Amino acid sequence: MSKPKLATVWLEACAGCHMSFLDIDERIVDLLSKVEVTATPITDFKEIPYVDIGVIDGAIGNEEELHIAKELRKKAKVIVAWGDCAVFGGINTMRNFMPAKEVLEGGYIHTASTVNPEGVIPQGEVPALLPKAIPADNVVKVDVYVPGCPPDADTILYVFQELLEGRMPKIPSEMMRYD
Amino acid sequence: MKEIILNFDGKQCKGVLGDTILEVAQKNDVYIPTLCYLKGLSPIGACRMCVVEVEKNPKLLTSCTTPAVDGMVVHTRSEKLSKYRKQILELLFAGRNHFCMYCSQSGDCELQRLAIEHGMDSVRYPYLYAPFENDATHPDLMMDHNRCVLCLRCIRVCAEKVGAHTLDLQKRGWAATVCADMGQKLGESSTCVSCGACAQVCPTGTITIRELAYRGRRKDCDDIVESVCPLCSVGCKIKAYVRTGSIARVEGTGTEFPDGGQLCHMGRWWLPESTERERVPVPMIREGAHFREASWEEALTLIASRIKPAAEQEKAGALVSSLCTDEELSIFSAFFRDAMKVDIDTFDGDILRGFVKGFEPFRAQGVRPFTGAHNILESDLVMNLCADPQDEAPVVASYVRVAVLRNNAKLIFAGDIADPFDGLTDVSVRLNGTCKEPGFLKNLAACLVALTESKVELDGMTALDNYAKALDKLAASAEISRETAEGIVKLIASAEKPVFVLGKGLAKNPAVVAAAGNLAIAARAFFGDGLGIVPLLSSGNSLGAVNTCVADQPWLRTKDLDFLYVYSTGMIPEDEDSLAAISRSGFSVVQTPYLVRPLVNLADVLLPAPAWFERSGHFCTIEGERRRLNVIVPPQAKLKGLSSVFETIAKDLGIRVERPETAPCEEFFISKVSPEHAKMAAL
Repeated sequence: MSKPKLATVWLEACAGCHMSFLDIDERIVDLLSKVEVTATPITDFKEIPYVDIGVIDGAIGNEEELHIAKELRKKAKVIVAWGDCAVFGGINTMRNFMPAKEVLEGGYIHTASTVNPEGVIPQGEVPALLPKAIPADNVVKVDVYVPGCPPDADTILYVFQELLEGRMPKIPSEMMRYD
Repeated sequence: MKEIILNFDGKQCKGVLGDTILEVAQKNDVYIPTLCYLKGLSPIGACRMCVVEVEKNPKLLTSCTTPAVDGMVVHTRSEKLSKYRKQILELLFAGRNHFCMYCSQSGDCELQRLAIEHGMDSVRYPYLYAPFENDATHPDLMMDHNRCVLCLRCIRVCAEKVGAHTLDLQKRGWAATVCADMGQKLGESSTCVSCGACAQVCPTGTITIRELAYRGRRKDCDDIVESVCPLCSVGCKIKAYVRTGSIARVEGTGTEFPDGGQLCHMGRWWLPESTERERVPVPMIREGAHFREASWEEALTLIASRIKPAAEQEKAGALVSSLCTDEELSIFSAFFRDAMKVDIDTFDGDILRGFVKGFEPFRAQGVRPFTGAHNILESDLVMNLCADPQDEAPVVASYVRVAVLRNNAKLIFAGDIADPFDGLTDVSVRLNGTCKEPGFLKNLAACLVALTESKVELDGMTALDNYAKALDKLAASAEISRETAEGIVKLIASAEKPVFVLGKGLAKNPAVVAAAGNLAIAARAFFGDGLGIVPLLSSGNSLGAVNTCVADQPWLRTKDLDFLYVYSTGMIPEDEDSLAAISRSGFSVVQTPYLVRPLVNLADVLLPAPAWFERSGHFCTIEGERRRLNVIVPPQAKLKGLSSVFETIAKDLGIRVERPETAPCEEFFISKVSPEHAKMAAL
């Protein structure tokens, strides 16, 4: 029997959750013997195959992220939301207090460090912003929530181990953190 | 009190009639999660975290507000309860903008702790993302409404314990926010006393102290040490949070105590700041306009050589701080007064002498001439005599405000300063000389005596006549109408437990203090622990200083000194008169922990000293308690303790210093006779 497959996506978030994943250090060797890592920001695999475990890291803030989240949901048997951004929206939600238009104007025109005399806001070549940055479960069904900014490496490993043992994990209080 | 027995999750638990379900649970170590509840504040059942199931009652009940009834069978843990509690938490998170990753209180936050405890791994409700304000108008406090759960602890502590009632609630439903005064921002408030009690009780990151937000969270601190605030005569109990050798924050002890665990702006900000102030690192000796570093040995030898001739010619003195502990003051007294026969006094000697002399007639009778300051809360009439408690002893001001606003006590003011409780005062007499001459208080006491006599005297007409004459005299002396005079007398006479707050301005003339004592006796201001008087002495251990170091007569300004030893804790500024005397002295030794200017500039020899957080000992406070100052951060090895400094000097001089023999400070004003038996002093 082939090994279960894992894919992770990095949506609207910093790299913290993936870094925390790498913080499992040498235990990754053991994990790799049990799971086949496919598309992840670490492997730089572009196409998401059908997988057993799909991990969403980050909130959903634009059309592309929305598409990827839905794509992963279609292809993964279990969806894990990693980190405060995927679970609660996280720091991305700071922009939710103003309209998306203002956010773009702020970023592309009004920022002191920006040189953009024509005031061009890129359109077409970059994905359009959604009205608000939202948690992953607002658009796809999430099976396992792993809050934390980032979650501890031990917690991330615990989730994989549980899933590989065929259990649907729930993060115990002593492992849970929101910061 | 009738005992009741409740069953919590199968465990029999005892309580008393009048307890709430939560109180019985807490007495029996049964855990019920709470958020808005805080012991000592009136419970409001707002957050509903403390819901429990009570058998035969179909509804969930908030345990913090539901009276416990004998025989109740209570379930504190069940699937149903966990479900509801988690749902409440999710709603709280969805309603406001609680994002732990950029909150300074993450880790100290009770909302976060509860959510984690209830396994809240996601929020099932859509977030509102409603924009709330971050009120940063106050110089020391921040109020970020985004993080508010409307537990109203801040509003309750401000109203019920501080008595400022600055904070209240505005608007309705989702839009409701805490506001200051009539919808002002916190920084614009005219009633806020900046005590920080609101920040201390805030369970989330809503109200925070700017300074402390990033100095270290409570949970990151290595140690919590209980001690006493030395800054004013109240001597509030404090909890100091220590992080890597520095005090990260200072808080009051608990809302359940009479003071409500409050501190004033001084205690809350000055104390932690003091761990980072510039210290006197090593002994230093003046050379012309400069100081040069010296060894302890050299510095102490120099001191010994200068004190000896000065003492022999009676031209030596010692001026010490009443912020010192009883033990330290005893060392000063044993060395200077007993061994060297040198004059000794405290910076606030004049004030303390005034009080001591004024209180002497009552002390001589074995009556304790004052009561614990918190007893103001038990009083139904507060008479403020020349005191500005908000300035002199801020927590006493809280007691006065709470007595008036919450307990409906009456408030009378008499003094030659502006009424500090303008707006709360029932009758205010502003009179030049009230604080300097005993006339007004004497006449007022005479009215009360005459009124009492008129009730018991058989010859009613004579008695009433005497009363009428006394009233006329009072009205004339105070330049007030007869009606006002009678109003004051009636207010005092009808009070069950009047209390008199004495400002330090009064102490300039001991006769005024004695007149206030007589007034308290005439008004039958009797408390269990002494006369109904709260004297606002000046610092943490003023009562201890009275017992050990305060001179009988002032000498500092009248003498030409060849040698003056000065010990300052560096926590409150030295007064100008003392500084002038120090600069006149031929040779000044200044021992102080901090580089306080101008004091250190006046020194010929500068000695380092341990700071308040590096010392231990006892304070006698106007709360009527001997309280312990504890070492919060251990002093560095090169610092010499006071006793070793004076032992070395004594050795150099070849004298023997006896062990200090002064009795502990609380024995000076010990209560041997119940205050009811106190007799008025002859004035």
